[in-house]
Amino acid sequence: MSPEQILFYFFAALTLISAFLVVTMQNLVRSIFLFFVTIFSLAAMFVFALADFIAVTQVVIYVGGVLVLMLFAFMLSNRELLSGLQAVQTGFKMSHFAGLMISLGFLFLLYMAIASTDIVNLPWIKESQQISPGDNTVHQIGINTMTRYLLPFEVVSVFLLMALIGAAHLARKEKRS
Amino acid sequence: MNFYLTYVLVATALFAFTALFTLFALYSERKISAFIQDRLGPMEVGKYGSLQAFADILKMLQKEFIIPSAADKILFTLAPIVIFVSVYLGFAALPWAPDVIPSSLNLGIFYIFAILSMETIGILMAGWGSNNKYALLGSMRSVAQMVSYEIPAAIALISAVMISQSLNMQEISIKQGILSPERILFLGVWDVKAIGGFLAWSIFQAPHLIIAYVIYFIASLAECNRAPFDIPEAESELVAGFHVEYSGLRFAFIFLAEYSMMFLVGMIGVILFLGGWNSPVPNIGSIKLAAWTTGIGWGIFWIVVKTLIVVAVQIWIRWTLPRLRVDQLMSFCWKVLTPLAFLCMLISGVWRLTMMS
Repeated sequence: MSPEQILFYFFAALTLISAFLVVTMQNLVRSIFLFFVTIFSLAAMFVFALADFIAVTQVVIYVGGVLVLMLFAFMLSNRELLSGLQAVQTGFKMSHFAGLMISLGFLFLLYMAIASTDIVNLPWIKESQQISPGDNTVHQIGINTMTRYLLPFEVVSVFLLMALIGAAHLARKEKRS
Repeated sequence: MNFYLTYVLVATALFAFTALFTLFALYSERKISAFIQDRLGPMEVGKYGSLQAFADILKMLQKEFIIPSAADKILFTLAPIVIFVSVYLGFAALPWAPDVIPSSLNLGIFYIFAILSMETIGILMAGWGSNNKYALLGSMRSVAQMVSYEIPAAIALISAVMISQSLNMQEISIKQGILSPERILFLGVWDVKAIGGFLAWSIFQAPHLIIAYVIYFIASLAECNRAPFDIPEAESELVAGFHVEYSGLRFAFIFLAEYSMMFLVGMIGVILFLGGWNSPVPNIGSIKLAAWTTGIGWGIFWIVVKTLIVVAVQIWIRWTLPRLRVDQLMSFCWKVLTPLAFLCMLISGVWRLTMMS
């Protein structure tokens, strides 16, 4: 195996193991910190797919934003609420049945989709231009965002502005009547 | 196989550099603070106390690793490593001279910003893992401050990137000196490509970048958690902030991260605004000062000198200004720096379209 392949499988294994531990771990804070490992190894997978911009954006948004927010929410919430969340649940209950069915169905759907497509011969992959590791992908992403995908881009920006104004409104002190 | 050997060598060299710089900065910080406060500073160890930093490191290496019994052992042990590695990884994309760059990334500055945001996670790990109320409070303050000050810093950097039209740190450097492939306009009117020197730096290509640089510099002080923005470690309130429980080598790593961060943010500012490795002296007629002082050796010399000057200013500010209060800190960030940074970004766009097209 080439060193690249070894690295790829290493990060793939790291993603799966850490993601599994995030879900099963009893200690909530440790599981949030482990989520950081998951996100980081996922970013490494994006690098192997030559999507360096997505990899870095993933780190910026999830590590710099979402994870810090989760930690803050955790550290500022009250202890009784958290002990309820951390309590050990053992045994199979009827309420778990629906979740199990949904996840099994989703797994089946994913498997069917992957098994039924001929990935190498997909028309949109054949028609698209190839990129090589040294290419400046940011340049192409910028041009495409401002031309072909301008409308979605603007819709997202308006949506984010709405969220921002909403957050500012919620955080404002109410006038005493 | 040579390929991988080079990677290891470059990484080791960078690590050695950060360690040496930390020793040097430790000594100079003590001496500068002593000068400002009209004392002598360290004088006992070696001539003029010059071996004081080595003595300190020796002392730290000998110390015991103390883990508080109620601490979360895994998080407590990992935190200093995460903090240091996040800063250390930032050095990967910084150019030192023409053709001397560990990794010439197309994403350059964006990558550095992403990696630096990892440090907040390390600080929270240290704060939570210590199981100490002062450490936790310090880490919460630190993260709140770093997350807020990232915004004006990033917007100020974007306004410089809009002028140089690249995220690659090496290309940004090249576009500020005599090696530039395109013409360079001093203040948007006078072509100084052949003259070079300080006239070609970003801040003189578009004068509003001087404001952007000041904004970036202030915000970068806050990101290093240095005075006047050192409320995370405020000695009089929080003992020592998030690293109160650390001792020995682990404390040394946190210290190393803090000083490397000072150098790193200084160097980013130098590359984007102050010409990077380009020489500050211009060509005057037949006296080709800029051409004579451009090259690999000179490049490393200039960028190190410029960054050390910036670091000296950081130290000078630390020992001159008093600490800000939390509410002053936040309102300064959101009500002064952020709108000004957005204004700079707007001017950059207009400048690029009108003066540089």
